Amino acid sequence: MTAKSAINLALGLLALLPSTAVVAQQVCLPAPRLLTVMPMGGQIGSSVEVQITGESIEDVSELLFSTPKITAKPVTGPDGKPLENKFLVAIAPDAPVGVYDARVISRLGISSARAFSTSHLPEQTREKANISVETAMKLPVNSICNATMTKRAVDYYYFSGVKGQRIAVDCAAVGIDSKLTPVVIIADAQGRDIVLNRTGGVLYFTPTADGTYLVKVHGLTFSGGPEHFYRLALVAAPGDELITRQPATPLVSSMSWPPVNLAASAQTKETEPNNQQIQAQKITLPCDIAGSFYPAADVDTYEFTAKKGEAWWVEVASERLGLNTDAFVLVQRVTKDGEKETLTDIAELNDIASPMKVSSNGYSYDGPPYNAGSPDVLGKFEIKEDGTYRLQVRDLFGGTRNEPGNVYRLIVRQAAPDFTLAAWAVHMTLRNGDRAALSKPVALRAGASMAMEVVVVRRDGFDGEIELFMEGLPSGVSTSGLKIAKGKSYGHMIISAASDAKPAHSVAKIFGRAIINGNTVTHPCRVASMEWPVRDAKQEIPSPRLMADMPVSVSDSEKAPVTIAPNENKIWEAKSGDILKIPLKLTWRDEFTGTGIGLRTYGTGFEGMKEFEIPLKSSKHEVVLDLGALKTPPGNYTIAFYGSAVSRYRYNPAAVAEAELAQKKAEEEEEALAATAKKLAEEAAKAPTDKKSEAANAAKIAAEKQKQAEAATAEAAKRMKTVSNTATPQDTVDIIVSEPIHISIKDTPTKTAAVTPKK
Amino acid sequence: MDPKQPLLPTAFIALMAMFYSALVGFAAEASRPLNFVNDVVPILTKSSCNSGGCHAKAVTGQRGFRLSLLGFEPEEDYEHIVKEGKGRRIFRPAPEQSLFLLKAANIVPHGGGKKLDPDSEGYRTIVNWIAQGLPYGFTNDPQLVSIEVSPNRLSMKAKTEQQLKVIARYSDGSDRNVTHLALYEPNDKSMAETSENGLIKTSDIPGYVAVMVRYAGKVSVASVSIPLGAPVDRLPTAKNFIDQHVFANLKQIGIPPSPVCDDTTFLRRVSLDIAGRLPTTEETQSFLTSTEPKKRDLVIEALLNSPDYADYFANKWTALLKNKRDDKADITANFAFHAWMRDSLLANKRYDEIVRQILGATGTIVANPAVAWYKRVKEPTQQLEDVAQLFLGVRMQCAQCHHHPFERWSQQDYYSLSAFFSQVGRKPTAIADEDLIYHKRGIAQTENKKTHLPVKPAGLGQPTLDIPPDEDPRLKLADWMSEKSNPFFAKSLVNRYWKHFFKRGLIEPEDDIRDTNPATNPELLDALAQHFIESGFDLKAVIRAITQSQTYQLSAFPNEHNAIDNQNFSHYYPKRMQAEVLLDAIDQLTGAKSDFADLPAGTRAISLPDNSYNRASPFLKVFGRPEGESVCECERVQTSSLAQSLHLMNASDVKAKLTASNGRAERLVKEDKTESQRIREIYLAAFSREPAPEEVRIAENYLSQPRTDAQGKPLDSQRAIRQGYEDLLWAIINTKEFLYNH
Repeated sequence: MTAKSAINLALGLLALLPSTAVVAQQVCLPAPRLLTVMPMGGQIGSSVEVQITGESIEDVSELLFSTPKITAKPVTGPDGKPLENKFLVAIAPDAPVGVYDARVISRLGISSARAFSTSHLPEQTREKANISVETAMKLPVNSICNATMTKRAVDYYYFSGVKGQRIAVDCAAVGIDSKLTPVVIIADAQGRDIVLNRTGGVLYFTPTADGTYLVKVHGLTFSGGPEHFYRLALVAAPGDELITRQPATPLVSSMSWPPVNLAASAQTKETEPNNQQIQAQKITLPCDIAGSFYPAADVDTYEFTAKKGEAWWVEVASERLGLNTDAFVLVQRVTKDGEKETLTDIAELNDIASPMKVSSNGYSYDGPPYNAGSPDVLGKFEIKEDGTYRLQVRDLFGGTRNEPGNVYRLIVRQAAPDFTLAAWAVHMTLRNGDRAALSKPVALRAGASMAMEVVVVRRDGFDGEIELFMEGLPSGVSTSGLKIAKGKSYGHMIISAASDAKPAHSVAKIFGRAIINGNTVTHPCRVASMEWPVRDAKQEIPSPRLMADMPVSVSDSEKAPVTIAPNENKIWEAKSGDILKIPLKLTWRDEFTGTGIGLRTYGTGFEGMKEFEIPLKSSKHEVVLDLGALKTPPGNYTIAFYGSAVSRYRYNPAAVAEAELAQKKAEEEEEALAATAKKLAEEAAKAPTDKKSEAANAAKIAAEKQKQAEAATAEAAKRMKTVSNTATPQDTVDIIVSEPIHISIKDTPTKTAAVTPKK
Repeated sequence: MDPKQPLLPTAFIALMAMFYSALVGFAAEASRPLNFVNDVVPILTKSSCNSGGCHAKAVTGQRGFRLSLLGFEPEEDYEHIVKEGKGRRIFRPAPEQSLFLLKAANIVPHGGGKKLDPDSEGYRTIVNWIAQGLPYGFTNDPQLVSIEVSPNRLSMKAKTEQQLKVIARYSDGSDRNVTHLALYEPNDKSMAETSENGLIKTSDIPGYVAVMVRYAGKVSVASVSIPLGAPVDRLPTAKNFIDQHVFANLKQIGIPPSPVCDDTTFLRRVSLDIAGRLPTTEETQSFLTSTEPKKRDLVIEALLNSPDYADYFANKWTALLKNKRDDKADITANFAFHAWMRDSLLANKRYDEIVRQILGATGTIVANPAVAWYKRVKEPTQQLEDVAQLFLGVRMQCAQCHHHPFERWSQQDYYSLSAFFSQVGRKPTAIADEDLIYHKRGIAQTENKKTHLPVKPAGLGQPTLDIPPDEDPRLKLADWMSEKSNPFFAKSLVNRYWKHFFKRGLIEPEDDIRDTNPATNPELLDALAQHFIESGFDLKAVIRAITQSQTYQLSAFPNEHNAIDNQNFSHYYPKRMQAEVLLDAIDQLTGAKSDFADLPAGTRAISLPDNSYNRASPFLKVFGRPEGESVCECERVQTSSLAQSLHLMNASDVKAKLTASNGRAERLVKEDKTESQRIREIYLAAFSREPAPEEVRIAENYLSQPRTDAQGKPLDSQRAIRQGYEDLLWAIINTKEFLYNH
């Protein structure tokens, strides 16, 4: 057997082994995640009691919202103590209709976000099962019901329909973080389907007779459970008007929309018929037009004149408005020979490319699982000759789809160079074949650093360098932006918590700053995250979205397993072509597997840096940067090292000590009470007749107290067992990021005087 | 033909005539300059040298010698026979010593045996051809234009014979008798057989049979009617155009129809055929007691408006559209596509619109579920083949590699159809193997794999289309398909639906429409197609017309004459219930519920979205539920088997249904009813009819028998009676009356 075949055999045998060993290794340290809020919205101007669930959230102290118009305070029980995971949420009367992010502050800091909606309609929450015609729940017209979908079932609601009075059913789910792909059906009172919508659209229905009708809701694949929640709105929709949909969270692609200073609505409207060349709608450039891809196979043709040398930028928004469309723009020159018209292609404008290569759907991630590009259009055309031109807009997904709601906005403008940014926590394959797409709140353990990828969509030819920085950080947290270099499409933001940081949180912001046409332009950066901690993206398709804000927290309940930092916080200076040595300080807090951690380098100018290894357990390591080999030109740089490693991680070990103490205390109390009870029982037995009743009563009370103490002890033991189990060391693979290192490279003085400076 | 067998007089005369003409022909052949295409290739075809199983086997041929299938590529064949292997197959100085002939005559051992007798005309023609210097022929040589068969329409009595004559017509106006070189194939071998030399022998089955005649790539057909000739004195009053055509045919062919069936039979039949379920006992009782004169039409209407209709026909269509689960992640696509089809039928979307939405699908599956078809059917060639077979009833597969042997379709036609799918753009999604589909701008065209020349789109038999780069060619295909003049689209659908209700298509197989496979009642097929077109491609209108007809409502019981008829619809042809329908019927009768993964409790088998449930349900598998592999309805196995009988008698899943808690047996014994009332309920539920007094007596007698448990101890009366009812249900399930729609 050759060595290679032996390895193959061994790998084959490994594959046959029960996967417990592999499963035992968790991907990424636990992060606090808010999973459900029920109800997941409320009527503006009201207060609503919500129940939350989550993972890795202990000691929840606050429920926060991305708007000051929504506030929450813990619900207290009869004993005045806060009830676990219950809050009373107040929605101010002037809160706008919208969908906001709710998060909690817990032992590990700020949690991931969960959508929370506001509406002007009365709301109710489904309290008991309604999975049959007989148990249908009443849903008044012009109201919203918050509910979770029952797995392998259909939820039933009923309403009174009035002949001729059109109603609309709008089920919010996908746009409010739910895992549900809802199917909504209007059925007769016996449950027989009349009309349906399975593609996420609004269901309109005009009863042909007065009577009771049912609204049925189920998952497209009948999936269900607490994470499959929905907000079912039933509203009157007179005439043939299209209702305003319930608000939805923005897609990652919408990070590039709208351009700065864009008017709220377009100046011009598309006018049909304009499908044929001969029907072209006359426009003048620049323009801003609202149109729609309706009916099926719609083509909108616009005609304009342009002069030689002009360059025009075209932007279409449709998918970025949350629609399932794929806009395409064709620009053609029109020449005429008598009556005969000839069209010559000038430009075909297609998708907005993703700034980073998005991961394929293959075995492992080969890029981030986020796409900041869009099927919308952003491109330019140049006019080579004076003349008449036509521009056609069509939806490449629109051949057979008749959806009046599929609108677009077309902008043709002269170059307005600009940029727009989005960021997300770095994802990468951490274990062979894993495709874990976890929601990642910026909840730092003291001593930890995390890296965010910051991508840019550049507008209208802007290709300059972009500095990245953050504001609004909590104390103990610092950041360094690894700039987006000229012409490049992404950079990094490193967020680090000091090893001695105390718990704190605040809402921070990432900004990008660039010089455009001599002016300094600063833009905030949107932040994207996964809606759910998807542990295997092969089984569950991850849903990323833009977050409303970016809270950052630091906690000290647990510390980072390792901190890698330069041993001095300074700017490391070198001359171009030098060998720069940077001593690193390594602080190991958890046990790691293997002999070292392989590290690679983030940061412009250092892309060519080869992977190097830092030895485990060593308290220091010197990194050698060969600036000559790297060909890093003179300038100021910030870099960071990153890699992945497996540590023996213990979840919340402090809880074990606490539980142990509590258990001991309970046992002692129980012992004391048992002794008292015994003593009182004996006394009662011996007590004279006239005191017998009193003594017996005292003995009974003591016995009851003893019983309660026994229960408390059992409870304490149970808790002890639970926290001990969760604190059992578990192999955990995670991304390791160093603190940033600032480097200044000076130009090497010319050694010969052969070159005489020009005068 | 075995020479020892005495010849029948007609056959003998016919054969003598043929030999005579052949001899006359041969005298002329010796002096006539021969042509490879006109004279040699037909001999190879007749001798099956160039059949798919022999030297025309794809790619390899046979033992190094390759011929084109049925001689469709004569230039290549000439090359292979004459020049390949340094000309080793031909020996010009002594033509009989050519390896080509020595092998064909099996003088040198030949794997295919003796294909050409040295005494045969074909052998002599080839010898002559070699002797003449192996002429391929000249461009101005006459070319075969057509073949004519005579008689081409004939009426034959049962168990008689008729010789056909085939004349080849050439471009120079000449013709030749090629009867002995033509190939003959009846479309229903149970009705007629043909000899190698074109002698037709009919069996005793009345009706219509077509004999396809092929010669040198040309086809023709002889349509034979075989009347029964019985008196047709009484016909039910025609209700609609279907009856007019069917009854006219029955009269002409002399097959008296059975009478119209009774109400119970009708209700059960139409419920099973439209809604895929038995009528409920309430429906049965209400229907039987109704005096409404139009109650049959009203039931049809109610069934067509019920979601059951949509469920049942979605089940039919999604299997044909290959809604197949290969991977766990397919679930969303499959559920979405199935539901889309079901919803389209529920909304009675126009058929041409349904087809258009499939063909022109773009976007993601969740937003536009018709896109799922492009997940299942990925290659343009597969797309055109499926579309042609499913929506046009034309099988184009053969034409990918060679001219269709039974049809006019060439490779050019094949790739012209394929070109409609040349601009399907794909982008990957987060789900492996699932793309989103868009129209890729550009000129629609594809390469003819034979000529390597670009081919633009064209509908079958239509001129080439110049489709601008911005227009989705698939929509143009849909436009052509839904034109009123399209000769295939409407016909294919009505024929498919006809078969659904009558067990047999007017054309069989239902997706093999071609000139050489005519309909048994072409006027009826045309009328149905016309009606469908005029209705605005309304699928429910087709079903309404069919089920309202007296023809559909004829009794399944044959009269003294028509039992033998199996294609003229003189009586209803009973059908075994489909796997899903039967499972639901057993559930309905026994009160049990089958449980299907991921679906709500109570979901019926006809509502299952894809084939994945066949794995978990041995019942569905045994009774032939299709796997969604094929666009052909034949994938559904409707034949009976021993496994099916054993399954119904012994399988644990069926037994469990009999004894299900809250099932019918348990419920019946708890109810305060007499035995005869309980028996009546079972009969109404199973057969939609009242039990006969004799049936009640037998059942009561059986139920009153004492019963023991496994240890032989007597069972208490309550358990005994319940077991009795379980047995009764079991017996009923195993009757033909239950298993069949009749």
